[in-house]
Order: sequence, then C-alpha cells, then structure tokens
Amino acid sequence: MRRAVFFLTFLSAVVLALMGSVVVAQDAPVVAVVTPYLAQPGTQSLVEGFQAAAAEKGWAVNVIDTAGDVAAVISRIEDVVNQGVDAIVINVDPVQVAAGLQVAAAAGIPVFGMDAGADPLLVTNVTSNGYAMAAETATYVVDRIGGAGGVVMFVFDPYPPVQKRGIIADAIFANNPDIQIIDRITPDVTDGGIADSRAKMEAVLAANPEPGSIKAVWAAWDQPALGALQAIEAAGRQNEGIVIVGIDANPQALDAIAAGGNFEASVAQDFAGIGAATADAVARYLAGETINQRVIYIPTTLVTAANVADFLGSK
Amino acid sequence: MTVQARLSRWLRRSGTLIGFLIVIVYFTLNIPNTFLTLPNWLNISQQVSMLAVTAFTMTIVMVMGDFDLSVGSMASLSGIVAALFFRDSQPVLVGVIVALAAGLVGGLLNGLLVSYIGITPFVATLGTLTIFSGAAFLLSGGKTIFGRDIPADFSGFARGGIPIGTFNERALLFPNLTIVALIVFVIVWVVLEQTAFGRRLYAIGGNVEAARLGGVRVRFLRLIAFMLTGLGAALAGLLYASRVASANPTQGAGLMLDAIAAVFLGMTMSEEGEPHVVGTLLGVTILGVLDNGLTQMRVDSYVREVLIGAIIIGAVTSSSLSRRGH
Repeated sequence: MRRAVFFLTFLSAVVLALMGSVVVAQDAPVVAVVTPYLAQPGTQSLVEGFQAAAAEKGWAVNVIDTAGDVAAVISRIEDVVNQGVDAIVINVDPVQVAAGLQVAAAAGIPVFGMDAGADPLLVTNVTSNGYAMAAETATYVVDRIGGAGGVVMFVFDPYPPVQKRGIIADAIFANNPDIQIIDRITPDVTDGGIADSRAKMEAVLAANPEPGSIKAVWAAWDQPALGALQAIEAAGRQNEGIVIVGIDANPQALDAIAAGGNFEASVAQDFAGIGAATADAVARYLAGETINQRVIYIPTTLVTAANVADFLGSK
Repeated sequence: MTVQARLSRWLRRSGTLIGFLIVIVYFTLNIPNTFLTLPNWLNISQQVSMLAVTAFTMTIVMVMGDFDLSVGSMASLSGIVAALFFRDSQPVLVGVIVALAAGLVGGLLNGLLVSYIGITPFVATLGTLTIFSGAAFLLSGGKTIFGRDIPADFSGFARGGIPIGTFNERALLFPNLTIVALIVFVIVWVVLEQTAFGRRLYAIGGNVEAARLGGVRVRFLRLIAFMLTGLGAALAGLLYASRVASANPTQGAGLMLDAIAAVFLGMTMSEEGEPHVVGTLLGVTILGVLDNGLTQMRVDSYVREVLIGAIIIGAVTSSSLSRRGH
C-alpha cells in the first residue's frame, strides 16, 4: 500500500515543480519560437537575439526545440495554434512544416521565418543575402590576385541557398577575362565536407604542380575552404600565396583567418541581428502594419585578419 | 482478501491510469480554454499517430519478451524508399507498397537473426538498426528528399481527414493519420487478444521452454512477429514522410525509444506485467498529452524531456516496487 502510492507522491512532486517553473504573463503578446536546431550555435544566436528584442517589448516568448525532429515542429505549431498565441516564429525549412503552417493560417495566426526560407505561408522571412555574401568573397579574391590567374571553386548546386552563392561567384570571375577557372568542384558533404574537399584539392594540386598556377580557392562555404587549406599545407605549398576564402565564418574558419595563413577571408552572418529584426517584423505586424517584403535581408560582414579579433571575442 | 489488500491491488494496476488522470485534471485547470477541447484531442491523436503505429506493432514482439531496436531506422528507410520511387515519377501506390515491402524484408531479417540464428534481440536489432540507417543514407546520398519530388497526393494524406463539423467556426477534420493508427490498433488487438497466434506469443513470453514442449512453433512465430513489427515501422515511416512532405535518412530515429517507453508504460497497467496493446495505447496517449500540455503551458522544452523521462521511470518503478512487495 505504502509503495503503491509512491507514484502518486511522485506525481504531486512533478506538479509542484511545474507550478514553480511556469510564469504566466497576463495580456502581453505571446510569441512561440519553434525550431529543431537549437543545439546549433547559429540558431542559438538567432534565438538569443530574438529573445533580447522580445524582452524589451515585454513579450512572453516560448522557445520550443524539438531536437532535430521536424514532424514534432508541426505538432508543436499545432499546439501553440490551439493555445492561441499571437505569433509564431520558425527556424526550419517551411516546405517541410507546411502542414503546421496551414493550421496556423486557418486560425489566422501569423508565422514568421527566422532564417527559414521564403514561403507564401510566411508573413516574411528574415535572413542573410546569399548573393551579397558570395559577391563579397568573390570580389575579395579578384582584388587580391589582381584580376588574373587560376581559381579553384568549391560549390554545391543541389542545395539552393548555396547554389545562389556559386552563381554570383561565376558571374564575377567571368567578368575578369584573365581569370581561369581551373575546376568547379562539388564535394561530397556526407562527412561534413572537409575531408572530401581536402582529397579533391589534393588532386587539383597534383594536376597543377607549377608554383603560381593556382592563385586562389573560392569556396561557397567554410568546410571546403578548410579542406583546401589542409591540402595546401600538407602539400607544402602554403608559401605560394594561394588565397583561400570561405563563407559563414564558423569558429574553425575564424581560427584559420586569425592564424594568418592562406585562409584569408570569410563572411559572418549577423545571427543575433536576424533574431532582433525578426522580433521587429513581428512587432510591426502586430501593430497593424502590412509587411510587403517577403524576405528581409540583414547585412553581413566580411571577416579578414583586420577584424577577425572582434568575431573571435564574440564566440 | 482484506479491504486494504484489495485497495492495494487496485492501486497497483491503476497507478499509471490515476497518475494520467491527475495530469489531465492539472492541464485542464491550467489551460482551461483549449486543453480539454475536441480539436486539441484530435490534434494530439494526429501527432502521436506515427508513434502509435510503431508502439502497437512493437507490442507484438515485446509480448514474447523480445524487442526491436531497428524500428526507428526502418521508419527512416521506408520514407526514403518511397520518396525515391516518387522522385522517379512512379505512382504513389507503388512507392507505398515497395516501402511496406522493405519493412517486411527488414522484419524478416530481424526474425531470421533472432529466431533461427539465435542472436539476442538486442544485438541482432542493434546491428540491423545500423544497416537500415546506413542503407537510408546510401540510397538518399545523405540528403533530404523534398519539394516537387514528393507528390501532393502523398503529402496531402497527412493533412486531410473526414469532416466532422465545425468548432469555433473552423472546420473540424477527423485526421487520416488518426484513422490509420486506429485501424492498426484494432488489427493488433485482434491478433494478440483474439487469435491462437496471439495466445501462443503470450505463451512464448511466459515460458519459452514450456511453449516449445507444448507444441508451439516458437521459431516460426517469432519470425512472423518480427516481420509484423518491421511492417508497422515502415508504415509509421510513411506516415512521418507524408506529414513532413519530405524524407530524410534520420527522421524516424526518435520513434524507437518512445515506442519502447510507451509499451513499458502500458505494461505497468497489467496485473502480470505483460504488454497489452490497450496499455500501449494509454502509454502513447500519456506521452502525447504531456508534450501537448507542457508546450501549451510554455514549459521549457528541455524541462519537458527530463519530466517525461522521470515520469516513465516513476511509473515503472512504482509498478515494479508494488509487485515485488506482494
């Protein structure tokens, strides 16, 4: 008997713990943020930026992480729609959670994308401009090599956000008649992208043994740039002045830029700024404004040896 | 039997149910406007449908004291298989049938390893978990298959349902996903509770030697049971792919632990500690209701995970303590 009521006692404890953990703000707008990716550093910065802006506005924010489970994102959207929140913010491909977006639309609850992808079911999506980021690093390469020489490109056309970057770099290099594209490589990304990019770069180095035959490596994101750097160092060709650039400014890339080797530049997205701007978009919408921009772009920053310290400090 | 002994016995069987009712009362008091409404419960039923199908069919092998760790990766694999056929512009039905066949073949492999080769279910299904997961990555090239590759007929299924009226001027559907889960529930209930096949599985679970001496074809029945679990996992994977209108080589991974947890929660309700599919239904519902209610109460998602784990341990502990005490 004593043991049989163990579970009930246990449950009461759970209930008491819950009561302590829930603070229900009255009347303030309630905004739910739903993402499967909270464990990733970029997403954390997004959410922190959003929360800071929302705190200033006095909103009650419910951050829900489904730990990688996309179907659970739909379930949680359905839950908060039922609960009647004032707005929902998602950080996930809207196509995959369209079932949830339709439920929100039917209930008249606005959904905002925070670095999510454009979708007719979203009021707007706040993100970085992939075209602009690629233009930053491609022009950096052109300027550094004086508009002439062989360039190796690492691209990934199957993934639309990265495909955008490649097409801009293609255009900028094509606009410089003395630049030759030695190879346009699509690395195998199943292992994260570094190892296969390194192998591919080793092949390119072997095929172009003349010092100075490769002037630069332009990579559509940081992992292939890091792989190329490893290949160049392993081949002992780090003093030929090959310029490497990436995009995203991930911590490993920042370290490489700070070390002052061949990896010279990358582009940092302002994730906290995207989060804050998403909160602003929600505020404008809740105040009755019509938001015409389907996508709102937040400026990015070119990271080089000159300013890398600012970014290392913030990580 | 004394009154106290009778009460104790009743509490032992009903502890989980009483706990569940307390949770429902608690959510109803704290989320008065939305929790105890028909749309919310239809919503929960739809959300747990994939887990439910996995857990109902997992019950079949757990009746024999076995379990199947490979259901999550089989669900991922089945979604990928179907999506590849869709990408190839094959009819939806073809993709679905081939994916379900993959489930049967995967279950057959598990069954052969466990019952004919004699590897313990833990090791055998851990191995096939890795094989199925690797196959899903291989076939998909590690990428998510989505967008135009997934036909609207397929993704529309998970969004559809049978209209049953309106609620606050919004059309109310009885979700297709819920209907599928209910059909699987009825089939598994009939198979386990109403057929000689089911009774023999329980006999194997009770005492495999006695069952064998009693003329039960233990090996063959175990093989069939694992095939049914594989088929259920593949079906759950299709429901998942339909719901997210995409297929990803890891998307079913979360189903396995939750399905085993649901069966364990259900086992706390049976006198003998055996799995029954009715108990599994309650287990699945408990997990779904907790997710739904805690989300609506804005409890931090990580606190929610800790709580759900603690509740599973609490329920199973109370049940096993009270059983040992008598």
